[in-house]
Amino acid sequence: MSGFFGFDTSLPERGGQRGGGGQQQFSGFQASNVDETFALGGAGEEEDLAVYTWGEGGMGGGGLLEGGDELNDETFGDDLGEISNNFQFSSQPAPASTAKGKIASTQSRYKPKPVSDPFAFSEDDFYSSRPTKKTTTAKAPSRPKPPTAQSGSVENLWNKPAVSSPAWGTAPSSMTKPTPPPSASYPSQPPPGHIKSLEEIEAEMAQMAIPSTSAAAPTQQKVLSLEEIEKQMVEQIEPPRQATPQQPAPPREATPTQVPGLAGSGYASQQALLDSMFPELGKGPSSALGGSTPAFPPGPRQEGQPQPPHPPQPSPEELARMEELHKRITSKIQSMAKYNNLMGSSDKDFITRIQLSQLATADPYTSDFYAQVFSALKRRRMIAEGQGDGPTVVQVGAGMGLGVGGPVGNRFGKMGQNTMTKLSTQVKKLVENRAQHQKVTNTAALQGALGRVTRGNAAAPRPVLAIPTSNKPENRPASQLNQQTGIHRAALTKKQVMFALEELYDAILELEQMRREAPPPTAMEEIEIWHAKCQAKVDIIWRRLMVMEPLDISNPHPFISLINPIKGQKLFPRLLRHLPHTQSITLLSLLIATYTQLDVVSRAPPPPVADASLLTKADRLDRAKREAETDNFLQFVIPGVDMIINRCGLGLVAGMLAISAQRSEVWRVAATRPGVALYTALLSKAQSLIRSPTPDPMNPQPNQQVDPAELEQWSKTFTYFLHVLLPHLNDLFPSSVAQKAAFGPGAYLIGGDAVSDREGQEMERREAEVWGFVAVLAVNAAEEDQTNLVAALREKILHTVQSSRHPNVSPARAEMKLRNVNMFLNGLGLDASMIE
Amino acid sequence: MDDAANTGISEPLDLVKLSLGERVFIKLRGDRTVTGLLHAYDAHMNVVLSQVEETIHIVDVTEDGNPLPPRIEKRNLEMLFVRGDGVILISPTQQ
Repeated sequence: MSGFFGFDTSLPERGGQRGGGGQQQFSGFQASNVDETFALGGAGEEEDLAVYTWGEGGMGGGGLLEGGDELNDETFGDDLGEISNNFQFSSQPAPASTAKGKIASTQSRYKPKPVSDPFAFSEDDFYSSRPTKKTTTAKAPSRPKPPTAQSGSVENLWNKPAVSSPAWGTAPSSMTKPTPPPSASYPSQPPPGHIKSLEEIEAEMAQMAIPSTSAAAPTQQKVLSLEEIEKQMVEQIEPPRQATPQQPAPPREATPTQVPGLAGSGYASQQALLDSMFPELGKGPSSALGGSTPAFPPGPRQEGQPQPPHPPQPSPEELARMEELHKRITSKIQSMAKYNNLMGSSDKDFITRIQLSQLATADPYTSDFYAQVFSALKRRRMIAEGQGDGPTVVQVGAGMGLGVGGPVGNRFGKMGQNTMTKLSTQVKKLVENRAQHQKVTNTAALQGALGRVTRGNAAAPRPVLAIPTSNKPENRPASQLNQQTGIHRAALTKKQVMFALEELYDAILELEQMRREAPPPTAMEEIEIWHAKCQAKVDIIWRRLMVMEPLDISNPHPFISLINPIKGQKLFPRLLRHLPHTQSITLLSLLIATYTQLDVVSRAPPPPVADASLLTKADRLDRAKREAETDNFLQFVIPGVDMIINRCGLGLVAGMLAISAQRSEVWRVAATRPGVALYTALLSKAQSLIRSPTPDPMNPQPNQQVDPAELEQWSKTFTYFLHVLLPHLNDLFPSSVAQKAAFGPGAYLIGGDAVSDREGQEMERREAEVWGFVAVLAVNAAEEDQTNLVAALREKILHTVQSSRHPNVSPARAEMKLRNVNMFLNGLGLDASMIE
Repeated sequence: MDDAANTGISEPLDLVKLSLGERVFIKLRGDRTVTGLLHAYDAHMNVVLSQVEETIHIVDVTEDGNPLPPRIEKRNLEMLFVRGDGVILISPTQQ
């Protein structure tokens, strides 16, 4: 197709009346034909074989080829024979000046339609590049005789590879060389002279294996000879014949350029592609022409355009149309060709990989979480408006989904919907395809194991998409040690805790996702399967929580370790939602039993100091961190604890309190905010159970009557609890603790005017928690214990009430103080106003 | 036991995952460090932090080219997105 190039330049010059484009088109598409013919005519079949076969393939017309072959053989033989003759001729005539003029004349002579004739064009080329060629071509046709007389010599020529190959290329040179043996007879004069000359020529050609191109002079001589040849030709040969032999020459010129172009440039390959895409374009004209003149495949084709006689040619409109089409395609290809090879295949591969990895994901919901949530919200609205809904997650295979979900296709606008469907089907196909392949060879896990990431090879290409195979055995730090019970081991390291937490989060997220994917309530079987799956997940989570580890296995207990970091605390309420009642009770028991191991209890924030400037920076940070942890604990864990406690019966509550009293120093726990919160919850629940046996109006049956045994157990436990606590009751109040902890000048500042009102109110809020606790204590306590309680708190009550009346205390804070005290006193039927 | 925990860690970023929701210290190019609560990260080490304290270490140079003693500038940010190409290291804060 590079023939294109050859023609291209000259065609415009030629100023084709018909339009160079038309020719261009032909040459472009029919290059195959041209090539083949050229190959045949130009040189030994062996040499140009490659081109020949290629052309053949493109053509698809075997008959045409063969016909051309024969003809070419003839002409070719002639040519070779002619060459010798020509050489002789050329040697003879001397006058150069005439030659030139003659050439012009020959042109005009042979071509009545010269301008449009493609060969004429080639001739022009020849003149510009090397005139000799033209002459040779002209001569070649003139000799039909050689076959008979010089067949032997011709054969020789053929047999010699060196000769055969240069035949066309060196033709001119051979003609120039001949000059030395000028004795040769006129070309027109036949056999005898011929034979001699041929032999000589052979010899010369052998010598000329490395021929030097002729100088200008020799060519001129040849020109002269041409003239004569022409005369002969006029006499002997019919014009059409001459025309055909001429053709080979120009194309021959073209072919050499063609071939390299083909091989080298991306453009060529694109052209090939183009040909394959529009085979009819290439075939059409050639076949039509071939029918008309099978003998001269090249000739008719190219001359056909200009020459009306030669006939079955496409109509001008058709030509124009094809030309137009071709132009468009060509320009398109060329414009694209600019970017050829800018991106290597590995680059493309890389990008595909990235795109795919985002598109296909094992967890479509979480990988596009926010979009999914958004779409869920939006869908709700749409359903409310009466619009349909569809699945949010596009499944593209078992366990694989499209990572780009969206609110019912609206995410990318109207157009997006189609695109998304298309995209999802494509990805789906790919995933399925990939899954099939992966079954066969699953060595992906070993990929890069030796530190070298292979790019893959033809046999085992690197997969564009890796489908996760999750069969990693689950491991848990604690369980394996659990096999030997009674062992005591080190607490989980921070890293282990974090790791376990991440695992838990993953499991919880999966479980939550599962719950969201509940099958429709009508499908019973599916629901059962779904329940089973969820249950399995819950079991996994339960095991990961390590609640069932022996109580004393470590300090802190693994579960406590999990719940110590803020991350774990935040997990707590989400966990509880999924745990069945019995398990949550177990969990609460464990939590209460190991309450002292909690960071928020064992490392409770120290009492506030009056002057923060006394603290080092590390101290301040540490305090802040502890406060934050405590706040988080109260915010995330305690509500959960409350919830569980609220589902307990009196017996259970009593049991819990007993556990706590046994396993910990109650007053220490109660001195912390989480402790106060826990006990308050327990005691108030017990009280509500005792006072109103049917706290749950929906479900009055269970707690109709409090079991007397339970009641007795409770009162016992509580009494013990209260007596442990009584001596330390004052220390539960943060203000008292702060007062105690203060030293130096700080002692005077604490609780004094220096404390800002904001801090003071914060202090009252903390106090309120404790007042609330002692109020619950009072409510639960028997009569004599109530007296003890008041006695123990007497000073605290008085102090609080008095300080609330102190002029320096802001009204807001004073009111808080009073309310706090009243919380306690009202439980006993008293009021702060009764105090003087 | 450390082994048990380690088996679940298959790539470096899995370690960063352990610090999710925790306070981390991040060293950045341009003589900057930040500490903050790690909310999210990705393969490029893009990171989202909250309660951030950014520290910039600056060495001023006098007109005749002599460096002054380094000084430190700090600022606090509610929420911060750190682009991954500036990240040198991520570590949990010691506390």
